[in-house]
Amino acid sequence: MKIKKFIRRLALLFLLVAGLWIVLNWTHIKSFPGIISAFYAKEFCSCYFVVGGDEEFCHNYARQWVPISSFALDKQAKAVTVTGLGRSTTVVHTSEQFGCAYRNP
Amino acid sequence: MREMLPLLLLLVVGLWSCSKPSPVRKDGETAWQQSFGKKQRDYWPTTDWRVADPVKAGFDQQKLKAFRDYTFQRTGDEKNRAGIRTDGVVVIHNGYLVFEEYARGYDKNRRHLVWSDTKSVLNAAIGVAVRQGKMNIADSAGRYVPQLNTDEKKAITVNDLLQMSSGLFWDEGYESSPLKSLVIAMLYTRGRNDMGRFAAEQPVIFKPGERFYYSSGTSNILSLALKNALGEKDYEQYFWKEIFEPLGMRNVTMERDGSGIFVASSYMYVTPRDFAKFGYLYLNDGQWEKKRILPEGWVKYTVTMAPAYYSTPMNDHLRKDNPGAHWWLNLGIPETGQAPPWPKAPRDTFAASGHWGQFLFVIPSLDLVVVRTGDDRDGSFDINTFLGLLVESLADRGGKP
Repeated sequence: MKIKKFIRRLALLFLLVAGLWIVLNWTHIKSFPGIISAFYAKEFCSCYFVVGGDEEFCHNYARQWVPISSFALDKQAKAVTVTGLGRSTTVVHTSEQFGCAYRNP
Repeated sequence: MREMLPLLLLLVVGLWSCSKPSPVRKDGETAWQQSFGKKQRDYWPTTDWRVADPVKAGFDQQKLKAFRDYTFQRTGDEKNRAGIRTDGVVVIHNGYLVFEEYARGYDKNRRHLVWSDTKSVLNAAIGVAVRQGKMNIADSAGRYVPQLNTDEKKAITVNDLLQMSSGLFWDEGYESSPLKSLVIAMLYTRGRNDMGRFAAEQPVIFKPGERFYYSSGTSNILSLALKNALGEKDYEQYFWKEIFEPLGMRNVTMERDGSGIFVASSYMYVTPRDFAKFGYLYLNDGQWEKKRILPEGWVKYTVTMAPAYYSTPMNDHLRKDNPGAHWWLNLGIPETGQAPPWPKAPRDTFAASGHWGQFLFVIPSLDLVVVRTGDDRDGSFDINTFLGLLVESLADRGGKP
């Protein structure tokens, strides 16, 4: 009985600490999932359209530890769209001089 | 109580001495020497580099091969991204191209992302603006960037930003601390619409000039400052008109953020041959074809150690960074016995240095410019070994560090 109570208190404390951590780091946590698709789309776009690497080469360049869930390369529109951790990012190649940029900054 | 007194005193003295490390020296040592830029050149590589036979130019063939074999060895495949992954090397000696090789699909016409080497190119653009009287490094940066024109931040000068000693908070972690890394937030998420403003809005944590710590944020604040100093229209073509075109760098891409400033911290793409021309500009003290691109004294300023470095508590990581003004030096701190970052290279070596193995070295005492591009993901590539092998291959010509 006593042990049960202790475990319940411990779990409560853990939740409290975790909650506090989330509140304190909310700015960082909120934008974190966006990193995966933004990094992949941006670095793939530049690798493919600026550097001139082939698709396999550029996937090897842009991939991260967290896998992405969708990838689309539109060669006509010179656009790359990537989804990862529930967020989607599109990067377009604008010109030879200025390279790639986010479509919706 | 009486026996506690010495202990208390010790504590007070200890705390007092911890609060502010006394600087080793107040001025920065410089890598610059009178001989910089004095050498007569028989041609300028504006059209292209002329090629010279390395053996006739004074290199030892066997030793140069050892340099080549180290640099281009491969231990893994593309999937595991392990080991040394050199993409290109160009070596210029006495103004002639003596070594050039590419790998992993790159060639002399293919641009390579040079990441933070871009910062050193920004240094040149600020230098030109100073020559034209459009910026002044002693100015409060608040004169050009409204976010810094506050009571708290107006003491920060353009110079403090160039020497990464602004005192503005920054967290420069890539893969190591993705959650709190401000570089990642600036480049990919919260900051990407307006990178200069994002960095300028960070809180003040030290007095300007008190501490050095690496900050990609400062480069984009400077990029924004340059835009505001020049006006949007002139700024857009400034790097090309003032630097790339006069030097004949025809293969350059520079990417911009959502607000239209160049991402001066990270996003320049250039061929190694063209990038070597940029190094050659600094080797010649900022002159090109009898014209001054960078004002007199600019290269000296650039290769002078940031004074804040001497008052910053030292650690292993920091020992590898000898900050000039958005260029990196090889001086160490003789007063404390701290070795230079690349002991096998001459002390007057200075460099642009970027993520995943991008380097541009200028070694005036050996009349060398060296570009190395790569995609190192695991730290296998040792830059000191690389430089050591190259310097050794020139040893017969007096190339001793």
